[in-house]
Amino acid sequence: MSSETVQTIIDDLGALLLFTMILIIAARQISHAIHSVAAQSLLIAIAGAVLATATGNTDLWVIAGVTLSIKAIVLPWVLHWVVRQLNVRREVEPVIPFSATLALAVAVVVMSFHLSASLGSVRQAITGNALPVGISITLLGVLVMATRKTALTQMVGLFASENGIFFTAMAVTKGMPLIIEIGVILDVILAALVMTILVLRVRSTVDADIADLDRLRG
Amino acid sequence: MTGERPLALVLFEMILLVLLGPLVTGVIQKLKALLQCRQGAGILQPYHDIIKLFRKGTVQADTTSGFFQLVPVLVLAATVAAGALVPVVRAGPPAFPLGDALMLLGLLALARFLTAVGALDAGGAFGGMGASREMTIAPLVEPVLMMVVFSTAVAAGTTELGTLAAHRGASWILAWRGADFLGFAAMLVLLPAETGRIPVDNPDTHLELTMLHEGMLLEHSGPGLACMMLASHTRQIVTLGLVSALFFPVGLADVAGVVGLLLGAGGFAAKILVLATCLALVESSYAKLRFFRVPQYLGIGFVCALMALALRIL
Amino acid sequence: MAETLLWILPLVPTVTSLLMLTTRDRRILSAIDVGSSTVLFALTLVLAREVAARGPQTLGVIRVDDLGLVFLLLLVTLTLAVSIYTVGWLRQAVEVGNMKVESLRSYFALVHAFVATMVVTILADNLGLLWIAMEGTTITSAVLIGYHGHQHGLEAAWKYIIVTTIGISFGLFGTVLVYAAATDVMGGAGAMSWSAIMKVAPTLDPGIIRIGFIFVMVGYGAKAGLAPMHLWLPDAHSQAPTPVSTLLSGILIKCALLAIIRFQTIAAAACGPAFPAEVLLVFGLTSVVVATPFILVQQDIKRLLGYHSIEHVGIVVLGLGFGGPVGTYGALLHVVNHGITKAVAFFAAGTAIARYGSRDMRIIRGLLAVAPISATLLMLAALSLAGMAPFSIFVSELMVLRAGIGHRQWIAIAIFLAMAAVIFAGLLHHVGAMAFGEPPPAAGREAEAWSPLLGMLILAALIVLFGLTIPASFDGVLQRATEIVVG
Repeated sequence: MSSETVQTIIDDLGALLLFTMILIIAARQISHAIHSVAAQSLLIAIAGAVLATATGNTDLWVIAGVTLSIKAIVLPWVLHWVVRQLNVRREVEPVIPFSATLALAVAVVVMSFHLSASLGSVRQAITGNALPVGISITLLGVLVMATRKTALTQMVGLFASENGIFFTAMAVTKGMPLIIEIGVILDVILAALVMTILVLRVRSTVDADIADLDRLRG
Repeated sequence: MTGERPLALVLFEMILLVLLGPLVTGVIQKLKALLQCRQGAGILQPYHDIIKLFRKGTVQADTTSGFFQLVPVLVLAATVAAGALVPVVRAGPPAFPLGDALMLLGLLALARFLTAVGALDAGGAFGGMGASREMTIAPLVEPVLMMVVFSTAVAAGTTELGTLAAHRGASWILAWRGADFLGFAAMLVLLPAETGRIPVDNPDTHLELTMLHEGMLLEHSGPGLACMMLASHTRQIVTLGLVSALFFPVGLADVAGVVGLLLGAGGFAAKILVLATCLALVESSYAKLRFFRVPQYLGIGFVCALMALALRIL
Repeated sequence: MAETLLWILPLVPTVTSLLMLTTRDRRILSAIDVGSSTVLFALTLVLAREVAARGPQTLGVIRVDDLGLVFLLLLVTLTLAVSIYTVGWLRQAVEVGNMKVESLRSYFALVHAFVATMVVTILADNLGLLWIAMEGTTITSAVLIGYHGHQHGLEAAWKYIIVTTIGISFGLFGTVLVYAAATDVMGGAGAMSWSAIMKVAPTLDPGIIRIGFIFVMVGYGAKAGLAPMHLWLPDAHSQAPTPVSTLLSGILIKCALLAIIRFQTIAAAACGPAFPAEVLLVFGLTSVVVATPFILVQQDIKRLLGYHSIEHVGIVVLGLGFGGPVGTYGALLHVVNHGITKAVAFFAAGTAIARYGSRDMRIIRGLLAVAPISATLLMLAALSLAGMAPFSIFVSELMVLRAGIGHRQWIAIAIFLAMAAVIFAGLLHHVGAMAFGEPPPAAGREAEAWSPLLGMLILAALIVLFGLTIPASFDGVLQRATEIVVG
């Protein structure tokens, strides 16, 4: 597989990733957002597999497999289970209105393209569109975490952000060392577990969403 | 693929689009009926409706001006002229300067504007409401269409649809870059808005709360109404033809002669059928959005188109 | 010898944490706690002597140099003091019902797991390992923050985990960028290792390093409590149980500062020292300025101490931003001094809260009458935090100021001095109101427990000691650490 083809495929996957990110930002129901982040993780796994066949790096196969099984299957399943437990369906209006969030998302994407264009020759040598797409997805994941009032959507934003970082690492450096990537995934799993526990704990003591609590002030 | 299109061919394509427009609507209606487990009307029903309307007389409100009688004709003319710009059976620029994709979007916008003006002219409540809703949607739809056109045009260097399709060539699916995915996604979001279908508008009801396009047609009757309905059928097939020319130019003939024309026509029919099936499926699966949610839905298309353009340019 | 120590050090708290799960008896748990902390402390002293004699030691992905040693010494000192303090504090908390007896072992296990992750963070040479351990500290401390189980605690824990995880994601992104720049120059081998990167740092692409450093600054800065990413800190540090608050304020935010320092050295070598210095100055000043008004209007004593942590972290970052040997030495010294002083403050506050049953400063009055030693120690800690001589923080703040004057950063100095004066007045007012006056009738009047006092006294002695002089061995460590940072 020539490097041109690999480049094109990675770019196309990047565009699809951006599309799933838009779906997450614009999702009005939490289950849609969870499906979108599962699709996103699936695309990342595909990207990892493509790079693995192109560079012959077996570590990437492992990473692709782990991403597929954990971030595309297990974690979304856990989130869906929590949704059923909490019986939450609709999304409340976020901190800033949806249209403003979408506009901000566009600004973020344009800014990250601008940023990576300013990097100059190193970026050209590294990749075409993958670096700005990776930056965009990371920042947009953070945008979702920061502007949404539902705990589960914040967790979805966290997963999306990690996906963006993974994509950047894969596309820019052909993957970080295996141990580090495994460690990162483990950390994400643990963080998700702890957050799930906190969400369920608050639900059982106070009948409110944990992200809604705002008694501590000043 | 890159033949020239003589005047005769352009006229032939235009008439073909006008004639096939109601058939597409009929197919969509039939599919929706089958999905709802009923027989439904025949595929040719829209033709019967239009012919029936041509035979009836016109009833016109007292409050309308003379301009009201011209509106259906003008709308039909604008839409049919837009149809002349879409490459149907053969790719390549026309033999004489005709107009490009922007002209097409402009003609469609003109048709929309004239419809709204006609509705307002009658002075009724339904007309006013339908016109105001349609005009709220329009500024969200038309710029996005233009951005999608631009993002595909940047690669080809021209906005003329025939040349654009020829530039794409036969290897269309392999040539799809990331920006094309996003542009196509934006077009999919916009299709219901342009063709007046769920989840933006409901073409089957005449309840005041659910009408956008239909509300503007209420004051027309007889031949005028037939012209407006024909215009909306043509608008639908023109939009589908635009999507296929921008994104799926496969099947556009490069063989001269009748065989090539037949191949091209067959390819076009197949593509339109697939897109019409998608529209029918979407219509049967989703509910119509509340009107205030429509801008957010179209916002998704806007963001996709903007990103497609950004990916192309930056 | 040093190599074995390097892998034993993270192992000790890990094994302790697992040991804690085996028993339920509070006394045995506390005994294991104190014992393990003492062992850790002793081992670190031995390691310190090794490093002093033979220079930095490496073992695979972990490495100890003098810079890490400063933070490590602070960590083990605070862990020991916290263990001693917990003995008495826990007894009182169990009596009152704040801590449940059946969940005590998970509490201790989590605390030692927390300490283990911090040890790995300090010792990590591999930047990815640094990130993983930092996320580990977030996870363990989030559970600890919400430990009391009531609504405010859970809210604080949620805000904490969300904001710090966002921050750490940025940090990971910055790490990836630095790794990318390093791979360009070095190939894949060892491109994550800080010591290896430092050797080739001048050849790294400055554009990528610049962007990476900003991401790291925002990311690890959120973990360190720098404004404007500090919003989680007052909630988290006030809602957590007091020993956990001490560890959070005393050492965890300093671990994040260590990560920032590591990246700062890389950035200074790649882009020139001016760029990271500017970024550090901006964040440092913002933190100091933002914290001050909140300190004045506080009513909750632990929140007050939380905002103080933000301010002092800002001072450390200011010192690093001023740069040069004086500024860096002052910053590192301030890390140690603030950690120790904040620990004494939290300990005293914890005993006062236990005595009065409330965190509200308007209720805690007349502490001198009911608990004279605690009150004296509280006043000592508060005066030290405000920067009064002859306590330790005065020395380090003075060094930071001198560095600023030496680099002619007049505006920064002016703002800093103004804020320091305001904080001095505010803190004196708060603590004076708490210590003097008539105690309310609801205040407990039992005698002061010895174990919290012992912990506090040890640390207080260190405060006074460092205020008067710095022992030569520690001075040597600080000087060598400064050399590592300044280059």
